Amino acid sequence: MTQILLENVEKRFGKLTVLHDINLNIENGQFCVFLGPSGCGKSTLLRMIAGIEETSEGDLNIGGEIMNDVPPAERRVAMVFQNYALYPHMSVYENMAFGLKQAKTPKADIEKRVNEAARMLQIEPLLDRKPKQLSGGQRQRVAIGRAIVRQPAVFLFDEPLSNLDAALRVHMRSEIANLHRDYPEASMIYVTHDQTEAMALADKIVLLRAGPDVTTKGSIAQVGAPLELYHRPANLFAAGFLGSPSMNFFTVTLESANAEGAVVKLSTGEALLVPVSTEGLSNGAELTLGVRPEHMHPVDDETSGQVIRRKVRAVENFGEYSHLYLNESTEKPVIAKVAEDVLKVPEKPMAFFVKPAACHLFDADGEALAYLPSVPGPHELSETDAV
Amino acid sequence: MKKKQGFKVGRVAIPVLGTFWLAVTTLPFIFVAFMSLKTQQETFVNPVWALPESFNLSNYIEVLEGSFLIYLRNSLFVITTSVVIILLFSSMAAYALARLKFKFSDSLFALIVAGMIVPLHVTLVPVYLMTRSMGLYDTPAGLIGPYVAISLPISVFILTEFMRQVPKELEEAAMLDGCGPFKIYWKIFLPLAGPGLSTVAIYNGIMLWNEFVFAYVLTSSTDKRTLPLAVWDFQGQYASNVPAIMAVVTLSALPLIIVYAIGQEKIVNGMMAGSLKG
Repeated sequence: MTQILLENVEKRFGKLTVLHDINLNIENGQFCVFLGPSGCGKSTLLRMIAGIEETSEGDLNIGGEIMNDVPPAERRVAMVFQNYALYPHMSVYENMAFGLKQAKTPKADIEKRVNEAARMLQIEPLLDRKPKQLSGGQRQRVAIGRAIVRQPAVFLFDEPLSNLDAALRVHMRSEIANLHRDYPEASMIYVTHDQTEAMALADKIVLLRAGPDVTTKGSIAQVGAPLELYHRPANLFAAGFLGSPSMNFFTVTLESANAEGAVVKLSTGEALLVPVSTEGLSNGAELTLGVRPEHMHPVDDETSGQVIRRKVRAVENFGEYSHLYLNESTEKPVIAKVAEDVLKVPEKPMAFFVKPAACHLFDADGEALAYLPSVPGPHELSETDAV
Repeated sequence: MKKKQGFKVGRVAIPVLGTFWLAVTTLPFIFVAFMSLKTQQETFVNPVWALPESFNLSNYIEVLEGSFLIYLRNSLFVITTSVVIILLFSSMAAYALARLKFKFSDSLFALIVAGMIVPLHVTLVPVYLMTRSMGLYDTPAGLIGPYVAISLPISVFILTEFMRQVPKELEEAAMLDGCGPFKIYWKIFLPLAGPGLSTVAIYNGIMLWNEFVFAYVLTSSTDKRTLPLAVWDFQGQYASNVPAIMAVVTLSALPLIIVYAIGQEKIVNGMMAGSLKG
């Protein structure tokens, strides 16, 4: 069992607090992705788990043992670096065998493990080559091979695909997913700023925030399954970070609250029902309404209500879908993502229906208001509300 | 038009200056080589720049039959030992200064580099007294200490720049592979600093091969002296055997010329490496 527990972990560089109030539980065999904007400390957190960065405060527990002062090699972790970090003066075989040699593993055992890993990663013909004679993808495979041979309890990946071209990135992503399947007992922690990678690979996403909010609210913005973060963001940061194009935000005022939820009014006059609890809020309170672009469906019939009316100012067609840029006074564009091609910018304002369960409401502190128990969960929502 | 003119001037000036520089650097050596083939009589009768009358190797035979080989042996011993110690110490210091975090590391680096500006001659008397008190006066081994000391600042400076360029991730990967600071230095940094080490070895080898002052002050017996002092054998108070001295000079310079011919590319690359990145 290799559970990883972080309790009140903090990292400071001099007076600068980079990571604050990290409490995290990564289960045995879980694929956990640290996601966040640059500067949020996700790589630092990974390096702290690896042992190559010191922990300023708090406890780091791997497999039931406090590891704060344990040397990296004794933590049963293996790391794959962004720039591969292969030893340039050693052959592929020597690179993969180096750690085992340091651990004084018998020679026959080293040979067996390296050959097995090489076969699995299809790098057998490359074993005698030096890293500079390999392509980017091959180097990445060797770096993964070097991690595999150590038979670690935890695999750590630090943006391993960011140096590869787009096509190779998709391919290697599926190889890393396969690796997770082949080593179900090992936990994996993967750092990326690419939300597609995070959504595709993770069992659990840890979304980290950067900036001044770190010291007041803590580094972790939200932890959960990918779809949970996508459909039920806990705060404005999580809502705005995940999704491309990102969520549309509207400033609204609370009109009334009833058993079905809260009725909010946009500055342009439309009223929308959001099935959330408004406990503690009084009518007239200023809130933020969030709607994902793909949840804004164009409709001709406005009688059912629950619509936002806007004039379209620009259109982008991608074949598979189109983006409609709507007139809004806010700096950030408001976009509707529609399934059909839109060849001409419509002259008349359009109405967009928004399902109540696809609306998100955030209080003045940017925290999401809780949904009523009757509202379908994220998975049901994704099936029924697809574009 | 102007551009074209400048281009023409460059086309003429560069080869002219190049040829001039070639003459400045090679003519003395040609002079020495020719002179070493002359008899003593020829040097008195013929003009200085006259070619030797015959291919006369008697000066070389005379030199080689004398103490030259003892000087050569001493030089090889002193320089090889010194260079090995310099490489070991300077690379360890460079690794520590480039990679290990400790208080005042920057000040220490500055202090070591400042050692480059200490004039050699200022240290002569204290070094002489220390050598005597340690019982190392008039021994080839007595030269090793001062040679290592005068070479360390520049060597540490060159190698620190090299080690700073080794990606940090390699060090971290080695830590994860179970290496401590010494193993990281020995297994990763030392092999990767290969070009830097060659530069330091060749640079110091050449400098120490020609070193005269310490060798002159710290040794007195013929069988303890190094090559730059071999000239002494052929120079008396009242007369000098100039062709023989020139033969000594030619023979002394020969190993360096061979080393430079082989390692030229490495020396130039090594000197350039620090300036190419960041």
